[in-house]
Amino acid sequence: MGLSACGSRPSEQATTSTEPLVIGISLPLTGDFSQPGGEARRGYEVWQKQVNAKGGLLGRQIQLKIVDDASNQDTVVTDYTKLITQDKVDLLLGTFSSLLNYPASAVAEKNQMVFVEPAGGAPNMFARGFKNLFFAQPATAPHQADVFVNYIKTLPADQRPKTAAYPTQDDPFATPVISSMQKQLEALGVKTLYTQTYPADTTNFQSIASQLASKKPDLIAQGAVFEDGVGLVRSLKQLNYSPKMLFQTSAPSNAGQYSDGIGAANTEGVFYTVSWNQDAKTPQNPDFVADYKTAYKNADPAEDAADAFAAAQVLQAAVTAVGSIDQAKIRDWLHSNTVQTILGPLSWSQTGEPQGQFLLAQWQSGKVQVVAPSEAATTQSVVNPKPDWK
Amino acid sequence: MAQLIQALVLGLLIGGVYALMASGLTLIFGVMQIINIAQGAFLILVATFTWWLWRETGIDPILASVITTPLMFGLGWLLYRLVVSRIKGQSPSMSVLLTFGIALVIEGVLNVVAGNKFKSATPSYFEESFTVGSIHLPKPQVYGFLAALVVLAGLYLVLTRTWTGRAIRAVSQNPSAAALVGVSAAGTAALAFALGSASAGVGGSILSVLYPFFPASHYDWISRLLGIVVLGGMGSLPGAMVGALILGLAETLTATYGSLRWSTLVFYLVIMVVLLARPQGLFGARLREDGVAA
Repeated sequence: MGLSACGSRPSEQATTSTEPLVIGISLPLTGDFSQPGGEARRGYEVWQKQVNAKGGLLGRQIQLKIVDDASNQDTVVTDYTKLITQDKVDLLLGTFSSLLNYPASAVAEKNQMVFVEPAGGAPNMFARGFKNLFFAQPATAPHQADVFVNYIKTLPADQRPKTAAYPTQDDPFATPVISSMQKQLEALGVKTLYTQTYPADTTNFQSIASQLASKKPDLIAQGAVFEDGVGLVRSLKQLNYSPKMLFQTSAPSNAGQYSDGIGAANTEGVFYTVSWNQDAKTPQNPDFVADYKTAYKNADPAEDAADAFAAAQVLQAAVTAVGSIDQAKIRDWLHSNTVQTILGPLSWSQTGEPQGQFLLAQWQSGKVQVVAPSEAATTQSVVNPKPDWK
Repeated sequence: MAQLIQALVLGLLIGGVYALMASGLTLIFGVMQIINIAQGAFLILVATFTWWLWRETGIDPILASVITTPLMFGLGWLLYRLVVSRIKGQSPSMSVLLTFGIALVIEGVLNVVAGNKFKSATPSYFEESFTVGSIHLPKPQVYGFLAALVVLAGLYLVLTRTWTGRAIRAVSQNPSAAALVGVSAAGTAALAFALGSASAGVGGSILSVLYPFFPASHYDWISRLLGIVVLGGMGSLPGAMVGALILGLAETLTATYGSLRWSTLVFYLVIMVVLLARPQGLFGARLREDGVAA
């Protein structure tokens, strides 16, 4: 071995290696983000099993080296630094949330490694001019609600909301969605009656609910992560105020947990935007859903698991296309190509920002339906106005 | 005016539940100088168990505290005898490390056994309210508050009217004098730890109805409870109650009249101001400084 091999990845030393291909991943398996972190792990593992069953990637079996970053920014930096410099993994996949991917992607960028992240759509992620970062969802946070605004534009004037309230959690993934929606709806003439940002540890929503009940907005658009989404609906119901339209960012996408939390009957008509739908007919989606159910006691996959699966699909497509794990080639290929994933087609700008559109979903009769855009819709009917609480 | 009354009433209801949750923490500190970081994890453990009981048997979640309380009493007693007693006499920071370890173990076990998903018990009344004029009193909060009152009153009676309670207070005020009159410090400490844990039995059952929770929720709860206890004075039960009510009111009043962003900040600002004026907290006793001329 010459000096040139020093510091190179083990697999670069022999192109025809039969060693497993090691993908380094840090995930929040404990701490605040342990829930999406756990789902992301499942998504990655379902993908790994599928690819290995078909002979692997570049003819090599895939090994996932998953470490726990405990939802901590310092730990995630340590994790990726160690994966790259000491473990010398062949490829990387991202962690969960903008908070953790922000520093993690900087480590990857410094080491010139491609970093495909399954979550982390906060605008500041893409303001740093990184060349190796790719966000594997259809759109970033500020564009997440575009599809909902577009839906409101299609309504006849008498069916549009005239007034709106915008409570949102102080969260990098919720706030930009709601503030961008507010701007767009104000431009449409929807009057803002209430805006409020509350901290992530807020547990009592009666105070917000009582103000909303006194202002009586037609639309309540809440930047809700999960607990806060359930909390606000419960409080609104306790105060017996039901808006004509209710939109929440992420909370309603946690299917069973959401309907358990607010009561199945109360989900009727709730809107949210989502990157993925279980019934979507995208290539490989039925396989993903079936394999997930087989692996995890027949549970429905969460969106977070699907996003992780899609991130892995993106990496797989690029590695397969360039026929090696040369990071520069993978990066250049991703910048100039569109990848078909279970979320639909994904393509990126030079900063790694995706250029697609989210799906507008709505709870109808205890199930989630996609109502827009029309090419992805699972139903033609939309519940509007929302019925009263049951 | 109605808005003010609504905010005050909600603040009091929430504060009552907080008081119950914080009572165990302050009791354990008062007797043993042990800061039980696992108290939040105890709450989530009980909430999870309550949720499971409610789902499997249909028992009312708040009533389920009749089952969870003795179980937590037993668990607290066992934990003290097997683990916590080993650090007796060492510095409080040691107890922080140990009980944080216990909290992590509980979180890990819950992740494996119950899964890392949000849960919340939703009995029929979980989103109903009593209405008095234009004031809404959410039923779960009202029931939770009443349950908290009953338990706090019971705890107060135990501590003031029974020999055991007097022993617990004696040990917390002056361990050596208590030993002189025949109070077993070890037995009393185990009992206090068990009682403190048992209070999480009721607190956790109430929590299961009031808030969605998952294994890692205990971090939020312990930070809130520590804030309450520090404000009220470490080891003081009345202090915990007053601290809890201040937190409840700070939350609802700032949410109604200011911005929710300020609610956490306001509470901690109150703590800081109080500690500047009274380093031992509102009701905290200054530690004895034997041998120093007053």
